[in-house]
Amino acid sequence: MKNIYLVPLILSIFSLAVIAIALQLDTSPEMIVGDSMQARSFPIFLMILKLILIGILSFQFYKNNPKPVALEKYHTWGSMFLFLLFYLLTVYTDMFIGIFVVIFLMSILWGERRIWVAFLTATITPGLVFLLFDYVLKIRFPRGILMNLYYG
Amino acid sequence: MFEQAISAMASVVVDPYLLGLIFATTILGVIIGVLPGLGATTGAALLLPFTLTMDPVHAIAVLATIYVSATFAGSITAILINTPGTSAAAATTFDGYPLAQKGEAGRALGIAVISSTVGGIFSVLILCFAAPLLARVAYEFRSPEYFALTVFGLSMLASISAGGAVKNLIGGIFGVWLSTIGAERVTGIERFMFGNYELYEGLHFVPIFIGLFAISELLVQSKTVDKIIKTVSMKAVKLPTLEDYKKIWKTILRSCGIGTFIGVLPAEGATVASMIGYSEARRWSKNKKEFGKGSIEGIAGAEAANNAATGGAMVPTMVLGIPGSGTTAIILVGLMVHGLRPGVYLFTEQVEKVYQIFGSMFVANVMFMLMGLYAAKLFARVSLVPTQILWPIVFALSVIGAYAFQGQLLDVWLALIFGVIGFFARRHGFSVAPIAVGLILGEMVETNLQHSLKMFDGAWWMILTQPLALMFLVFAFLGLCGPMIFSWITKQKD
Repeated sequence: MKNIYLVPLILSIFSLAVIAIALQLDTSPEMIVGDSMQARSFPIFLMILKLILIGILSFQFYKNNPKPVALEKYHTWGSMFLFLLFYLLTVYTDMFIGIFVVIFLMSILWGERRIWVAFLTATITPGLVFLLFDYVLKIRFPRGILMNLYYG
Repeated sequence: MFEQAISAMASVVVDPYLLGLIFATTILGVIIGVLPGLGATTGAALLLPFTLTMDPVHAIAVLATIYVSATFAGSITAILINTPGTSAAAATTFDGYPLAQKGEAGRALGIAVISSTVGGIFSVLILCFAAPLLARVAYEFRSPEYFALTVFGLSMLASISAGGAVKNLIGGIFGVWLSTIGAERVTGIERFMFGNYELYEGLHFVPIFIGLFAISELLVQSKTVDKIIKTVSMKAVKLPTLEDYKKIWKTILRSCGIGTFIGVLPAEGATVASMIGYSEARRWSKNKKEFGKGSIEGIAGAEAANNAATGGAMVPTMVLGIPGSGTTAIILVGLMVHGLRPGVYLFTEQVEKVYQIFGSMFVANVMFMLMGLYAAKLFARVSLVPTQILWPIVFALSVIGAYAFQGQLLDVWLALIFGVIGFFARRHGFSVAPIAVGLILGEMVETNLQHSLKMFDGAWWMILTQPLALMFLVFAFLGLCGPMIFSWITKQKD
């Protein structure tokens, strides 16, 4: 199978999965729903509509034979990996440690060769944003190593 | 009513805090506009959490100012470095950059500034008059009409700027499906929550929008890190001469009309408007050969139209709750978050606030004109901020902004997940704007369909017996199938 059909295939699987899950949803008694529709009906209707459109899209692909999308450079995949790292650091250490590490590594990954510039960006940005949200907007951040020290 | 509107608009000018806020936001909007990739929509998505603690009028004024000033500012980089700061300025590169290469960058920017200001002010005036009139018509709307109207809005996604019609519709339907996550409004049955009770009230728009627009753009920009930017030198912005005005005034007026009309259409926006404004300027021009080589009519046509679309797009957003573009989708969320329910109620109960918002847009148009004329050269330098510094900062603002909305880490994860989804969607030619618009319209379409079915005892076809609903559904059908039918008829004739 050609790579170009991968997108319609993934979208179709997703739509069928949604239909399958929707069919498992509870039904409500007739006296509540009345002449209206069950909670599952609308998502199922949407996915059927989507499957029809996916069919048309596949036909367009078959007719026009578009070029497959080129694979991204390591910057993109690396950035996505950093998102994952951010998740782990936020959950297990502190959100601001996560932000610091991601900004620093992302700057380096994207081509910043001056370590001190990357370090300053990673320190000043979350610092300023924290001050703005904490003092001006009065928002409490999730507890972690740094926030425990700050909030006590 | 008229007196109330005038005094509300005038109150903006005598409110130093609001004026200061508009001034600061205009500077920010112009900076956002000149930074390639960071357009009005991303800027508004990033700024939305900062407006949470503001007064409703101030908050919407900030978002609307970002919208108008970033839409204009995209032209600065379009002219000076051949990179449109926003997608709405793409048409400006066709003639703006060639004119700049001829050593007339100042003249090109002067034309862009004046055309954008005229377009913006024209559309705000139309907004002031058209919105209350449309609100009066909308007063007659009941569920079948609203259902048909949202279907019409969704059908217009087919022609939204990027992506093909089918891809946009798939994106729109995905967005509508996202709106079904959470407890169903009538029966309370949980849908697609997988035991996660933080999703009981559904997905919140703010983190999703931050993900779709800001995080996905970050990933898109990661592909351009090696791009070398060539700048064109410029001494100062030059105001158009009398000769120039004679040449472009008709084009500006035409583009004002086109831009405002395109903006009013649900789900259409400044990008489509500028493309049509440009092509119409070329079609009506006596100097067609100049187009693509530095025509001032080309710059005026595109710029007047894209800024005229900003006011136009606010009409369906504020009157019907149907966003006219990606950015107005965020403004709509801003309205909802601050308790300003779009619709007839807004124009009957909160007229003063509405006109203060319109007044703010008017002031923002004047402010970006002054900044464009006197500080464009300075702002153009901002575009040279290295990508490797700018986008990590955007990452920090995105995650903290997503968190700040409700104080939930789940929102941060949602923003990241939807950022990745948005990136892959864009990678394969799907635009993310239809997903955002679908998410907003989803609840409206389902709820109004349910109410309509109850109204007609389950006989859905009775919706077609309502004249206004039928009209919107016919429009939706024509919007979807019109181009195909038209091309088939043309083929038959040939």
